Parts: sequence; C-alpha cells; structure tokens
Amino acid sequence: MPGDHRRIRGPEESQPPQLYAADEEEAPGARDPTRLRPVYARAGLLSQAKGSAYLEAGGTKVLCAVSGPRQAEGGERGGGPAGAGGEAPAALRGRLLCDFRRAPFAGRRRRAPPGGCEERELALALQEALEPAVRLGRYPRAQLEVSALLLEDGGSALAAALTAAALALADAGVEMYDLVVGCGLSLAPGPAPTWLLDPTRLEEERAAAGLTVALMPVLNQVAGLLGSGEGGLTESWAEAVRLGLEGCQRLYPVLQQSLVRAARRRGAAAQP
Amino acid sequence: MASVALSEAEKVYIVHGVQEDLRVDGRGCEDYRCVEVETDVVSNTSGSARVKLGHTDILVGVKAEMGTPKLEKPNEGYLEFFVDCSASATPEFEGRGGDDLGTEIANTLYRIFNNKSSVDLKTLCISPREHCWILYVDVLLLECGGNLFDAISIAVKAALFNTRIPRVRVLEDEEGSKDIELSDDPYDCIRLSVENIPCIVTLCKIGYRHVVDATLQEEACSLASLLVSVTSKGVVTCMRKVGKGSLDPESIFEMMETGKRVGKVLHASLQSVLHKEESLGPKRQKVGFLG
Repeated sequence: MPGDHRRIRGPEESQPPQLYAADEEEAPGARDPTRLRPVYARAGLLSQAKGSAYLEAGGTKVLCAVSGPRQAEGGERGGGPAGAGGEAPAALRGRLLCDFRRAPFAGRRRRAPPGGCEERELALALQEALEPAVRLGRYPRAQLEVSALLLEDGGSALAAALTAAALALADAGVEMYDLVVGCGLSLAPGPAPTWLLDPTRLEEERAAAGLTVALMPVLNQVAGLLGSGEGGLTESWAEAVRLGLEGCQRLYPVLQQSLVRAARRRGAAAQP
Repeated sequence: MASVALSEAEKVYIVHGVQEDLRVDGRGCEDYRCVEVETDVVSNTSGSARVKLGHTDILVGVKAEMGTPKLEKPNEGYLEFFVDCSASATPEFEGRGGDDLGTEIANTLYRIFNNKSSVDLKTLCISPREHCWILYVDVLLLECGGNLFDAISIAVKAALFNTRIPRVRVLEDEEGSKDIELSDDPYDCIRLSVENIPCIVTLCKIGYRHVVDATLQEEACSLASLLVSVTSKGVVTCMRKVGKGSLDPESIFEMMETGKRVGKVLHASLQSVLHKEESLGPKRQKVGFLG
C-alpha cells in the first residue's frame, strides 16, 4: 500500500490474484424480492463505550459504539430564542460526529485503513440520517461521537451501520424521538428489472442501481435516503422507496426486543 | 455552506410566502433564477465553463491528460472530480474550512456520474490496458449564494460540452515499442456527447411545500432537502436527502416528480443555449469576468 512503509515491508503496489482469474462466480439465484435476511442484533456489549450495538444480517457484520456527551470543541457563543420543550437555542445545540470505518479485510480486496472519500461520504450519510432522530437541543455545547466499524461487507452495509448506530445511541441513553431503521435495496439488471430488498454482496455488485433508506418507524418519517445508478424513471425509484420503507417497518420489532433484553441484562448485573 | 443571520419574523415571512407560491423575489416555487452560462473562458484547459446563478458563481475547468486505465475497466478512461471552495466565496471557507463541503460536493459528483450511460467512457480509451484519457474536472467556487449543487452540475455539463480532446494515435514499432503521435491539425479533436449527462435539482422543503433553487435565506428556513439528479430524458441517476430534518414519504414522491419536471426543462434550455453559443463561432464576444 503506497506510503505505509513502517508497517508493511513489501512492494508498493499489490493486487489480489482474483483479478486475473477467469470469471467463474456463480450468478445470484432467483429469490423473493421482499425477503429480509434474518437479523441478529445485540445492544450493550462494549464495556468501554457509553452505548454500543452489534448487528449481523446475512454476511454483513457491523459494530457501533457511542461516546459522550462531552464538551464540544470550538464552542460558539449563542443567543436567540429557545426551542420548544426546554431545548437550547439553535446556536448552542449539540453536535453529532459520525465516523464510518471499514476493516481492511471487510471486502474482497484489502483496503488500507485511511479509506478516503467513500468512508467520509458514508459517515456524512450516517450523520444526516441520525440527526433528525436525536434531540440535540437537550445537549447544549456538547458533542456525541458515533463510530461504526464494518467488520464484513455482505451487502447493504450502510443500512446495517445506520441501524446499529441508532441502537447504540438508544443503548447509551441519548434522548431520541424515535429509532432509525435502515434498509438497502438494489436493482437487478436484465430484461425485467426488479428491486431486491436487502441484497447480498453478489447482488449488489451486479446491480444497476442501489438505494439505502432510513426510516423512523413510529413517526413514519424518512430520516435518510441515498441512492445512485441507472434506476430508470421516477416511478421505479418511488416503488423502491416504498419497498424499503416496508422492510424497515418489518425490522423494527427485532430491534425493540434487543433493547429490552439489553436493559434486562443491565438490570440483572446491577442488582447483586 | 455560508450561513446567513435571519430573524424569526423573516423566517415566518418566507415560510408563509412559500405556502402561497410566492417567494421573496417574486418567483414561483418551481422557477429558477436567471442563469448565465459561458464556455471557453479559460485558455489553458481542454474545456471550461462559468455559470452565474443569482449570487452563486462557479468556474469549471476540464483538463485531459493521458494515463493508465483502472485495472477493473481496462477499456475505458475515467473522470476525476475536485471541488475547491475558496475563501473568496464566504469567510467561513478560510483555511481548511471549505474542505468538508468540497469533499461532499465531489462525492456527489462521483455518484451522479457513476453509471454506464452518463458519459461514454469507451471514447476515452486510446489503447486497452495501456493508455487512456483521464479528464480532471476541477470546480472552483467563486461566490456562494445558495443552491450550489445545481449550479455546479450545470457548469460541469457545459464544460464537458466544451471539452476538446486531441486525437492521438499509438503507433507500434517493429521492436514493439509504442510511440504516441498527436495529430498535426490543432482542431482535430474528439468531443464528448453530453446528451445523457445529468443535472442536479435540489428541492428544499419549506413548511408544507418545496421550492427549487433556494437562495441562502430560503435554505436557512428549510430543514431538509432532496437532491435529485435527472438526465434530459427524465431518468433519475441519483437521489439523496440532505439536511438535519426528516421528510414525509409522500413529500418525497412529490419532490421526485417536481425534480423530474423541472430537470427536463432545465436540460432543454441549457442545450439550446450551448448550441446557440457554439453556433456564434470563434468570433463571438467573450464576456468573461468583466460583464
């Protein structure tokens, strides 16, 4: 990897042998477009973080930790009218700093740790999706740090990271309006393009377009939306958004149960 | 982005006006401000364009350089985007302040061009696996007056329309060494087809309605916006929600339809202006920065 001579002693550039191999991967089989992979969610597993969550969906494994609230750097003096419910005025509102990191062994090709623009784009997407849900006005001059670590990319990584981050924030006891649930979609190419919910890595690689939606299920508000590719006309994208929102609603009970279990565990540990 | 100080009364005024389809400068909710586009303003580039949209001023320069193609796509060239938010746009961009916004805009540009149909990358290939054209698209933000994404996408499309890449041939010797030959005629060049290059339409949610082409003051009143990238045929290539607030699913569908409608009109007028400017030929009067 260019530049990192202290840790890696080897040639400047290296490629995995799969690039030169003949293309003999099996094509993803036909499946129900609305199936969601079984999800394992656990909150409250890291001892050093204020709140944490681990989410596994198919081959995608994400670990998220929340720390804070601590004093924000570069504070500004603020004034102006206070918001409703005793919240701080706009200039004193808290900040949410999100960080998205991909482990170097997460994908098929090794990616050096400072991932560059893709990770920053996903971190920005995380922040834009989590901000509507967190009551930042209740944390004046403070900042909350959310860091998501993708351990293995098995498809719809951003959606899993969003869900894990929202669970971790809830586990940390941060005041929120609602949980944020994320869902990924991809458009399978071909003569009759169909949108597939919760794609695997293979389906995502062969897709003509991809979309991630984040929903606040109880309020029924879309907190985040990020999609690109040759999705076609607006009707096709609208259908994809509807499918994604429905998937998010179906995922919500699983997350509620994991939070209840974490609270019980914490209660049982505190007793003796 | 540049922040503007608005009092509560001004915000209420803007929001109530938008509900009645009447904005502060008299436009309707789906009207753009007056756009001025001029191409071929910088002489050292392969193509350039300058766009003025109200108070927003963008300068784009495209430079074509030869390089090696990417390993996964050996028969294609590629585009590299770089956005520079200079301190002259607003004092907040001094030093490293504008870097975050610049990276965000560059990432959005990569996303909207990230599909096979936007630009025909095979025309940029010189010899497979060895040489290809890399187009470095550099965007310079000269003045920030709201609605940056739209102005930048218009400028990028105009600059790519204006880009002239010299025709190059790779000759092989008997020993197998390759020699690159540039054509003698300086006007013999490849032009890119910009038919399918998308333009971004940003729709800001203000109150219960959404507006196109928001000024800085209107952006301060809006909590959430939807960014839609539309081609001239109405095909959507990218969608993104921007901002701190959340959106209702129904408003997202409405905003997509508006974005498609407005985008088609924008493309039609941009195409006609670009063709008209080109038909004036090399003798046309260049306004540049003096107008």
